[in-house]
Amino acid sequence: MIGLENFVTHTLHGIQYGFVLFLIASGLTIVLGILDVLNLAHGELFALGAYVGFSIIGYLTGLVAPPTTLSTQLVFLGIVLLGAIATAAVLVPVGVFLETTFFRPIYERDEVYQIVLTFALLLIIKDVNKFIWGPSPLRLQDAYGGINSIPLMSLVGLTYPTYNVVIILLGLVTVAALFWFFNRTKTGRIIRATAINREMATAIGVNTSRTFTLVFALGAFFAGFAGALALPPRFASLDMGANPLVLSFVVIVIGGLGSLRGAFVAALLVGVLSRWAIWQYPPAELAAPFAIMAIVLLVRPEGLFGTWGEVA
Amino acid sequence: MTERSRPGLVSHNGETRIRVMKGLELTKRQAVLVLVGLLFAFAIPDLALMTPSLQLTVVHQGLLFGLAAVGLNLLLRHTRLVSFGHAAFFGTGAYTTAVLAAKYDVSSFTVLLVAAVVVATLVAGIIGYLSLRHTGLYFSLLTLAFGQLLYALVQGQSFFGSSDGLPVRPGEARQPLVFGLALDPEAYAVVLYYLTIVILVVSLLVMWRLVKSPFGNALDAIGQDRTRAQFIGIPVRRYVWTAFVISGIYGGVAGALYAMVQQHVRPGPVLYFLRSGDILFMAILGGFQTLLGPLVGGVILVFLQDVGRDVTAYFDALTGFALLVIVFGLPRGLVGSLRSGGLLSGAGRDFREDPTVITVWVSNGLASLIRSVREWISDVRSALGVR
Repeated sequence: MIGLENFVTHTLHGIQYGFVLFLIASGLTIVLGILDVLNLAHGELFALGAYVGFSIIGYLTGLVAPPTTLSTQLVFLGIVLLGAIATAAVLVPVGVFLETTFFRPIYERDEVYQIVLTFALLLIIKDVNKFIWGPSPLRLQDAYGGINSIPLMSLVGLTYPTYNVVIILLGLVTVAALFWFFNRTKTGRIIRATAINREMATAIGVNTSRTFTLVFALGAFFAGFAGALALPPRFASLDMGANPLVLSFVVIVIGGLGSLRGAFVAALLVGVLSRWAIWQYPPAELAAPFAIMAIVLLVRPEGLFGTWGEVA
Repeated sequence: MTERSRPGLVSHNGETRIRVMKGLELTKRQAVLVLVGLLFAFAIPDLALMTPSLQLTVVHQGLLFGLAAVGLNLLLRHTRLVSFGHAAFFGTGAYTTAVLAAKYDVSSFTVLLVAAVVVATLVAGIIGYLSLRHTGLYFSLLTLAFGQLLYALVQGQSFFGSSDGLPVRPGEARQPLVFGLALDPEAYAVVLYYLTIVILVVSLLVMWRLVKSPFGNALDAIGQDRTRAQFIGIPVRRYVWTAFVISGIYGGVAGALYAMVQQHVRPGPVLYFLRSGDILFMAILGGFQTLLGPLVGGVILVFLQDVGRDVTAYFDALTGFALLVIVFGLPRGLVGSLRSGGLLSGAGRDFREDPTVITVWVSNGLASLIRSVREWISDVRSALGVR
């Protein structure tokens, strides 16, 4: 049944899903565009973010009583967001460690070794998660319920989880911050310059190895942030990394390699269209993003905004 | 048949070689190795009866995944394209067989195999057409995405049995008929194994001919420099596409045999992208610069996985560490390192001559370890901006 309210709800779901996808895919596309490495372990960084978020957000929300009044609800929301940012911060040293230890020695090697290396890291990080948090799925029920108790959407007469609205708003802020970072700050411009021409960047005095570490850490940061934000409505499980990883590939292909703007448009497109597909025809859920990808590839093989090396 | 191409003994520069077919000549040592390998392969069913640690199905599976890896290697070794979606073709072969046997009551081994080849050719043709417009990482990414598309399609459709998969020939007659014969289960397993060996030998010979042919040389040229290959008149797109389809057919044949051996197909083991990773890993493990390496890698990996899953719950991490060792320490793979007679045999000779050499190795090892830790620390410091 296509009612207006249903339509709005599913579209909002799609936008929220799209923002989470963008957070994951942005890290992957930055790493791919600048380091020239297809990081298969990126999905596991997302999963790691969810697990770390489970511990940190769970600990922080455990310190306070369940929110009842509006002011305590807002404090609660602040605590959850703080937890998410702390989680993302934990992923930064992890990213620095991975880049300096494993990636740095193989930049000059054959592609196949790079892919096999990241595949190895995927397997290892997955088992590290299993070792620390155990094989059974984990859930943060309190955080989700606590934030949803904020009566935001009932103001406009729509039953929609407040948490999803928070994600959409956070996504908007993050997108704005990313574009500002790459277009307006000096570091962002240095990163773009390095992506366009590595040797030239070295010649004008850019420390490229430091830039690479920074970029990888940035990617890990956003993967962790996305993991922590995606956690409350769902379970943290060992295989949660695979699907977002492959969907971010789809997003990158649709948007065009190395284009942040493309990744943004593509993530929203995939998010909204796949939610509509689930709503109208549930079995299409898994295949919908790939169908979009195939169409885009046929019409525009280079993706919507794709050119090598350009980041924003 | 001319004199030059007849099988027999030939001599080059005073060295006697055994000619198997045109273009394929083995030294005595190689010929002995091949014979021993073949004998061993044919003896596996008997050996499996004697020792419980060696299971026929495990070796059989290893050989089949190895065959898929041999196919993948055509792309990897010669055109330098890293496909991360080869499970797609393995799965296509397996599912074609399962669907035809379970839904349309096709019972002949030969028909099932041919059908699997046809469908795998079609699927590889389409995926290849779409993903070969790009090279490098973009190609890997596209093959992975298309592989997952097939996985998603199969997983989502009840026609394919969703995540439970399909049994091959349910009911009374559980197995396909081999050349019109209905065999009892044990005989079926052994006969199918021998058939696999025969198909494997033929596939390897075909691959050998292929890579030594002008077509194979052209693929090498494309792998070295695409633009140059284009300029000297090689139809790059068409050749690479053909190579892609051939490599997909190898995967399809392996998948069809897999379905007939396992008699049940699930999307997880045959289509999931981790499977593609496994197939790629097999090629690297055995040595992707060799013809036989991927096959050896396949048998070893499947065997280790089978043993490893019983030993530890963290088997994936173990595989990961093995991969790290291969990437950093043994980049030519097992067969590649053996053939070049490199590090290991030299080290063994040194050790036999003078056992004290081991102290030199230890001190060298420690020194390089300390050096790399130092480098690592300075890298981290520079990354964090600490002077």
